[in-house]
Amino acid sequence: MQEKNIRNFSIIAHIDHGKSTLADRILELTGAVSKREMKEQLLDSMDIERERGITIKLNTVKLKYQYQNKEYILNLIDTPGHVDFSYEVSRSLAACEGAILIVDAAQGIEAQTLANLYLAMAQDLKIIPVINKIDLPNADIPKVTKELHDILGFKEEEIILCSGKTGEGVKELLDAIVERIPAPQVNLDKPTRALIYDSYFDSYKGVVLLIKVVDGKIKIKDKIKMLATNKVFEVTELGVKTPKEELLNTLESGEVGFLAGAIKDISSVHVGDTITVLDNPATEPLAGYAKMKPMVYSGIYPVEASKYDLLKEALNKLKLNDASLTFESVTSEALGFGFHTGFLGLLHSEIITTRLEREFNLDIVVTSPTVVYNAYLTDGSMVVVDNPSKMPDREKILKIEEPFIYTNIIAPASYVGSIMELCQNKRGLYKTIDYINDTRVNIHYEIPLSEVVYDFYDKLKSRTNGYASFDYELIGYKESDLVKMDILLNGEKVDALSLIIHKDFAYNKGKYITEKLKKVIPRQMFQVSIQAAIGSKIIARENISAMRKNVLAKCYGGDITRKRKLLEAQKEGKKRMKMVGRVEVPAEAFLSILGSDE
Amino acid sequence: MAIATVNEMSVYIHIPFCKSICTYCDFCKVLYNKEWVVAYLKKLKDEITDRYMGENIKTIYIGGGTPSSLSLKELEYLLNLTNMFHKENLQEFTFECNIEDINTEMLDILVKYGVNRLSIGIESFNEENLILMKRNCSYKDTLEKLNLIRSKGINNINLDLIYALPGETLKILKQDLKLFLKLPIDHISTYSLMILDNTFLGYKRIESSPEDIDAKMYDYICKKLKKAGFIHYEVSNFAKKGFESKHNLVYWHNLEYYGFGCGASGYIAGVRYDNTRSLSNYLKGEFKSSDELVSKERMMEYELILGLRKMAGINLQDFFQKYHVNMQNVFPIKPLLKSGELIIQDGNLKISPDKIYVMNEILLKLV
Repeated sequence: MQEKNIRNFSIIAHIDHGKSTLADRILELTGAVSKREMKEQLLDSMDIERERGITIKLNTVKLKYQYQNKEYILNLIDTPGHVDFSYEVSRSLAACEGAILIVDAAQGIEAQTLANLYLAMAQDLKIIPVINKIDLPNADIPKVTKELHDILGFKEEEIILCSGKTGEGVKELLDAIVERIPAPQVNLDKPTRALIYDSYFDSYKGVVLLIKVVDGKIKIKDKIKMLATNKVFEVTELGVKTPKEELLNTLESGEVGFLAGAIKDISSVHVGDTITVLDNPATEPLAGYAKMKPMVYSGIYPVEASKYDLLKEALNKLKLNDASLTFESVTSEALGFGFHTGFLGLLHSEIITTRLEREFNLDIVVTSPTVVYNAYLTDGSMVVVDNPSKMPDREKILKIEEPFIYTNIIAPASYVGSIMELCQNKRGLYKTIDYINDTRVNIHYEIPLSEVVYDFYDKLKSRTNGYASFDYELIGYKESDLVKMDILLNGEKVDALSLIIHKDFAYNKGKYITEKLKKVIPRQMFQVSIQAAIGSKIIARENISAMRKNVLAKCYGGDITRKRKLLEAQKEGKKRMKMVGRVEVPAEAFLSILGSDE
Repeated sequence: MAIATVNEMSVYIHIPFCKSICTYCDFCKVLYNKEWVVAYLKKLKDEITDRYMGENIKTIYIGGGTPSSLSLKELEYLLNLTNMFHKENLQEFTFECNIEDINTEMLDILVKYGVNRLSIGIESFNEENLILMKRNCSYKDTLEKLNLIRSKGINNINLDLIYALPGETLKILKQDLKLFLKLPIDHISTYSLMILDNTFLGYKRIESSPEDIDAKMYDYICKKLKKAGFIHYEVSNFAKKGFESKHNLVYWHNLEYYGFGCGASGYIAGVRYDNTRSLSNYLKGEFKSSDELVSKERMMEYELILGLRKMAGINLQDFFQKYHVNMQNVFPIKPLLKSGELIIQDGNLKISPDKIYVMNEILLKLV
């Protein structure tokens, strides 16, 4: 193989700008898949990705492309588009030399276009700007061209016009990949070093690593060592995806592919770690990439206590190809043994919980997400509060700080008033507005992270008819007037329902939560009182009356088997409830402290 | 409690024909059609011939549908089929009817074949309730017919009462109950209206009455009937002393019974079976649609969920004799005795009377 004939690239885009469709066309044009095999959005292999039309997990495919009578290997490394997953984006970019930046011909530059572009630029990647969806009737190529020029500094002649739908411009794009993106540096003689940029668990092969070989080469039967964990394995399988699996005997410097080595112990693999070969080992690891810290935490508990170990195993497997997921065991008075789990954002948390339910068939209770607070105490110490139950008593607290973000909200100028109102409602501090052009603005606020983790994005979308896009960066901690609010069921505090909230919002929130719990918790054999309290002060209260009726009134000869089946069904339903004291609480109740009545 | 003996059985016969269809009914029924009725009765004869093993029959119940929708000739044919059974020890023979179908000729035939109990679907005398249910009957007519029945020597009469219809108030129920109690009857079966799929009300997406109103009405009925001298002996059934339905108690005692006819269910030789609900299949002679071989564990479970429907509950000694195991060792009864949801009285395990309307919650803790 001639190393200079390799191009490693990613596609970065704002969500919905047509990345996956364009990738499909590239796969088709390079003959990687025939028209007949074409399934919509081939790179999105998880059901949840196709359902939501988003990419979460990286996928890599090796493509062959003829350019000026020479064959080139193009390694396409897919990236997610959502703000929660910028960590994944930076991982895939670490394996590339170039990136295609897609901008929708009708929408123009959006918040995640900027965020992902900055990530790519930080890695010194060669960027190819592409205006996609030029077939749309409302495509405005001159306007978007001007945006790319004015805001991002691209020259007009650099920009490639393209349609993932019709295939127009895709060949020009492939040519540009070969022409403009540099070949990977090839260092065949150096001791082997390969970057693990992703991994997943296969029940036959064990842990499968996705790697980019930077120096040297890896062969079948090589003994390899993980530099961070010092674990040694023998390589049993090497290959690439085209997107079908194609087995190889060697992977060399500059190439990307997968590696299996009968690795059963999940903890011996860290994404971001460097692999070397034992014969001639390297000592210095490759520069990894900044590890992303979880932004929000939730408790995840099995509905049935006996499923704790299964839940742990499932989380370990998910962590294998989602290095950003963190968890540690935790005990809740109300919910028993479970895991305190860190996520990059709310979408990330939703995806993990959905995968636990679907792929591992687990009934789980998820508590409402919380951000990490710093509580400074009167004795001069500081407590990190990543779970409301860890909040010290009020009288011991000097001040509480919470994380703030700096927003990029890109939207048509006509929505500025409505967006500003939303940001104010979310305790935002106005900073500035940048004009992208005459009609579009980028609005900057500083907002507490806790205010955006739940429904901020949904509200933003509905206020702007879907025209606004949103991204943020964490800017640090600031003091806020926060209190811990407890929820009591029949007078007993439910630790899993406690939350930390701004003092001014506490009354409304307490009212909202008690009303919502009243709707969600079914009637019991006795009356249930629901209270919201700050310290010992009750600020809201609702009652659920005792159940009055649950009986099959008629039960004669023909009803008997039906009656038994009905009881079985009711019993199944109860299995999904969690006993909190004497009260049966459905799993969704633990998320009811999210949201507001705005 | 009587323990089932092989040579003593009960029989249910289903007649799936009606002159008009009530808006809440999800039973197996079709509009009356002469040709079908004739064919149906013939098939019924075939099914009885196939299945009946010659036991003594102690109770017969002919239900529907509306058995009284048959013509006199058809009725005679139907009742004649019951002569296929050994009726020497027959204790109770119930026939379901609509009040408007009752007349002297019909009663004479019923009496001739040994019918000694009538169950009549009155449901309500309130005009709005009747319109909603698409039923019809007047208090005056009912009183006359009941007197006629008694004059023919049938002195065991049940009326059905439906309450908690959408929009029904406690006041309406009180009026209904007052009228029911003025009539010469011995038994009342009472049900809150259930709006089921595959009924007219279900299709119309009519909402059920709220739980609190429903329960309040039930409490009122229990109190009022008790005062009027009725014994509350099952969740939904009330009788003057000695007039408890012997046939229905077979179900709640978890005893075996034959079920004949389209949509009927039976329990024979340890197997619970359902006949087809499709009239055309039944007319082709394809009687059975599914069955369940009841294991000992399942049988004890049925004993529990059926037996606790009776206000008198389950006799612990009888349970031991039947299954050779103590009931306390099979079901987690103790905590519920402690909480007062279950009680043991005179050797019987029963649900606390004030919890009978939420009995499913208690059963869920037991099974």
